[in-house]
Order: sequence, then C-alpha cells, then structure tokens
Amino acid sequence: MSKSVKKLVEETKDQGYTELDLCDKSLNTIADIPGLTQLRHLVRLTLSHNRITSLPESIGALENLEFLNVFNNHIEELPMSLGSLKKLRHFNAAVNRLSSLPRGLGTASGLEILDLTYNNLNDKSLPGNFSVMKQLRALYLGDNDFETLPSEIGELRNLQVLVLRDNDLIELPKALGNLSRLKELHLQNNRLTALPPELGKFKHHSCADSQNYMTQDGLCSG
Amino acid sequence: MPVQNEIAAPAGYGIGNAICAVCQESFGVDERMVNSNGQILHERCFVCVQCFQPFPDGLFYEYDERRYCEEDFQTLFAPCCKQCGKFVIGRVIKAMQANWHPDCFRCEICNDGLADSGFVKNAGRALCKKCNADEKTKKTGRYVCRKCHTYIPEGEHLMYMGEPVHPWHYNCFSCNKELDHLCRKRDTELYCLRCHDKMGTPICGACRRPVEDRVVHALGKAWHVEHFVCAKCEKPFYGHRYYERKGLAYCETHYNELFGDICFECNKAIVGDVVNALHKCWCVQHFTCVGCNVSLNLRSKFHEFDMQPLCKKCYEKMPLELKKRLKKAEQTAGSRK
Repeated sequence: MSKSVKKLVEETKDQGYTELDLCDKSLNTIADIPGLTQLRHLVRLTLSHNRITSLPESIGALENLEFLNVFNNHIEELPMSLGSLKKLRHFNAAVNRLSSLPRGLGTASGLEILDLTYNNLNDKSLPGNFSVMKQLRALYLGDNDFETLPSEIGELRNLQVLVLRDNDLIELPKALGNLSRLKELHLQNNRLTALPPELGKFKHHSCADSQNYMTQDGLCSG
Repeated sequence: MPVQNEIAAPAGYGIGNAICAVCQESFGVDERMVNSNGQILHERCFVCVQCFQPFPDGLFYEYDERRYCEEDFQTLFAPCCKQCGKFVIGRVIKAMQANWHPDCFRCEICNDGLADSGFVKNAGRALCKKCNADEKTKKTGRYVCRKCHTYIPEGEHLMYMGEPVHPWHYNCFSCNKELDHLCRKRDTELYCLRCHDKMGTPICGACRRPVEDRVVHALGKAWHVEHFVCAKCEKPFYGHRYYERKGLAYCETHYNELFGDICFECNKAIVGDVVNALHKCWCVQHFTCVGCNVSLNLRSKFHEFDMQPLCKKCYEKMPLELKKRLKKAEQTAGSRK
C-alpha cells in the first residue's frame, strides 16, 4: 500500500471529510488500510480501478455510507455486512468477478441504484430476498450469465431502469409487466424468442414524451 | 396686553397746567414729562407699579391701566403652560382648564398637535378626533364616523379609505344616489348595490362567492386573493409566481416536486439547471462518471455505458473486450443517426 493512501485516509479522518476517493491506487485489498473502517462519517467511498479481490466484513461499520463505488476491480465475493449499511443508496460493483451475491445485500433496503454489470452472475446468484430492495430505481445486470429471471423481480415496483443486455436469457417473467414505472429496458444480445405480452402495457406509459426507452436490437426474431 | 415703547416728551412742552396721570400732581418747571399712550406722567411715576423701578429698555406691560415691568407682569398675570411650566407669551391656548403654548397642546395618545385641528375631551384627556373615535370604538364596540364624529349604528358602517364612515356621506359613483350600508366598493369607487350588481361581480373560483375586494384573475377564473392557492400545499400565492398544470396552479416548490425533472442520482426535484442526457435528467453536480464519480458536463467527452456516462479515462481502463463492444455499439448508434 502506498504512503499516499495512508495519508489520504488520515486526512479524511482529521478533517472530517465525508468523501474519500481511492480511485486507481493499485490496491489489492482494503483490509490493511489502517483507520479506513473507522471513518464513520464517510458518505462516499470510491475504490474504482484497483485490483481489490474482496471487501472486508468491517465495511459494515461505515454506517453513514450512501455511495460505494468498486467499479473495475477483481472482487469475487461481497461481504454479508453490506446489508447493514442502511443508508447505502448507490452501489456500483460493475466490472468485477462476482459469481454470487450475499444474502445481506437484500437487506440493504435503502439501495436505489445497484450496478452489477459485467460480472459472472447467473440465475442462482440473486439472493432469495433481493425483492426486499423496494427502493431500487435502477438495476444493472448487463454482461452476466442469466438464463432466466425470478418472477420476484416484478415486486421491485420503483424500478425505472432494468438492464439485462448481453446475458443468456431465454425468456422473461410475466411479472415484468408489473414494473409500471419502467422507463428503460435493455434486452439486446440475449436468446429471447419472444417477449411476454405483459410488456405491451408499457406502451401506455411511453406516450409522446419518449421517456420509455426500450432496446431490443438483439432480440432473436425466431 | 399691548407692549408699548415709551414715548418721552421733554418738559416745558408748553402744557402749564398738566397733571400727572399717576399721582395727579402738577409738574415742576423744567421737570421732564413722559407721554405714554396719550397720558402724561412724571418721569418718576413712569415705573412698574409693583417694583417701582424704571422699565428696562422702556418695555412695559399694561394691564387694567397699570404698568408693569416684564418680570413682574409675567409673575403676576402671565399664564403658565400646563405642559412645559413656562410662561406663555403670545398666543395662549386656553383648554382643559389650563393654559398651553400652541405647540405644547397635543393629543395624549398620538401626540399630534391640537392647536389648530381642534380637540375632544375624553375622560379628562385632550385627544385628537381620530384617537377619540378609536377610544370610543374600543370602549363601546361601535364605530365612530370619521366624517361627522358620531356613532354609526351597528352593522351600518362603511370602511372607506381605511376608516369607518356613515355611508350616507357618499354618493354612488355611477347614479350619484346617496349611499346606504348596502353599498359596495369596486376598485376605489363606491357604488350603490343596484349599480354594483349591474356591473357584474366576479365570482371566486374557489368559494363561489362574489369577490368584493381585490380580485385575482388566473386560470380563466376570478378568485379572492386568499382563495387562489397552491393545489398541493393550499397556501395563497399573494401575487407570487405560480405554475399551471392541467387547470391547477402550484407554487414553485410543489410544481417541481410533482412535475419537475427528477435527478437520476439523488431522486429529488432538480432546482436550478438540469443536465438532460441519455434519456435522463441530473442535477448539475450529480452528472458524474459512473466509473470514477468525476464531475462531467455536456461538453465533456464521455462514452455511453448502459445509458450512463463513462468518462474517457475510465473507458480506457475497461477490459479490452468490453471496450471493443462499447466502441462498436457507439458506431452503430452513430451510423443509425
């Protein structure tokens, strides 16, 4: 770990800063950064573009965290304690090596934007309680290995953005039609042969203001 | 009490048998005589009747045909001002069983000068007409007409220029008929009920009652000022800006909350400038790179990643395979345009 990281953490602590940017610092882990998990006042933590392989359980101590960005790392597993970050609103774990998600994620009930693009997630990765995230407005699951989606996805009533492009989806659950607030649905590059007729309902919401954005270029026309 | 200057005449004026008007004695040969207002006196008799001293600068005060020096005259006869305790020379206001300097005689409530405007005695106090009327109204609950200063029968007063008056002091602006308490005000003019009705009274869009006072015209209707309110918080606009949507009016806060642009990041109504990009809206400060959170604006070079902005630096750090696909997607999107 470089000296500058240590210094940045110390400065953040001394000055009481609410944001800490450790973007592109060649970190392999954050578990050995002294004092990092004692930054209780931290609201935003950016760890993008490192080589971090896992997040420590102690991250759950950052009780005021609202934004956590681990974009482009080597993370294979997320800690259970993520669920205790009750204020977490925006979690970006895109471009990582996740093959499963912890049950704890579902209990991060304040989550509004969850970005899991470009991972190794599949049908079995979603925790059974993921539909508890009722505040979820945007769910990014592009570039993963989903073949099907659980119908519980229809319970995320606040969902406005759902990205499922570049997966192996064979079919979509009918419950998708319950997502009445959906404005963006990205479906290109899957193995879909048909869309559930329930999706037709969205037309009523799109109106003339073209707020609804639906990409289905990759839809097999079979 | 005229103040007179001595008019001295030298002795030997030729009035041999003149008699002093004070001591009734004749004058000696070569004795100086004083002529004061047509009276002839000995120089020794032309003195203050109180202190027997000559008048300083020849100035004296005559009262009851006797002459006084200024000091004695004031001590004996001049009125004292009840307000400031000093002698009153010149114009005296005699009122409330006392004397006053015109400038000292003031309303006990509002302190306005009363010398020229007249006053009213109210419970041992000298008050101006306005304060007296106010006091009377306070005490009896009845209005006092500001025009004739008599009580107005209950419920028959007219508020005109902010003051209660008998309506019959005024005439209808239109037909000139003397007004009664059923008269109406429109703008600043007064009308009898008949003429007022003929002009057509606006009806409030909220309470459906006629708008007699200030009328607001909005949304194609007329409103009482206090009835033209935000459809959400129901606070009156009172001339402040309002926003219309589907026939309803909203204050700025609630219009934004209900219909304004919502920031994709903070999920709140955007106050101020809006960044409109990628089919979404952002607060200016919330339009940041999805990879590193660096601030962006619409002039920044950024790539589109699932309809989110990705800065150039982050794009370069992406896995090669992903980068290629993003580039290809951008090219197809570009050629489609």
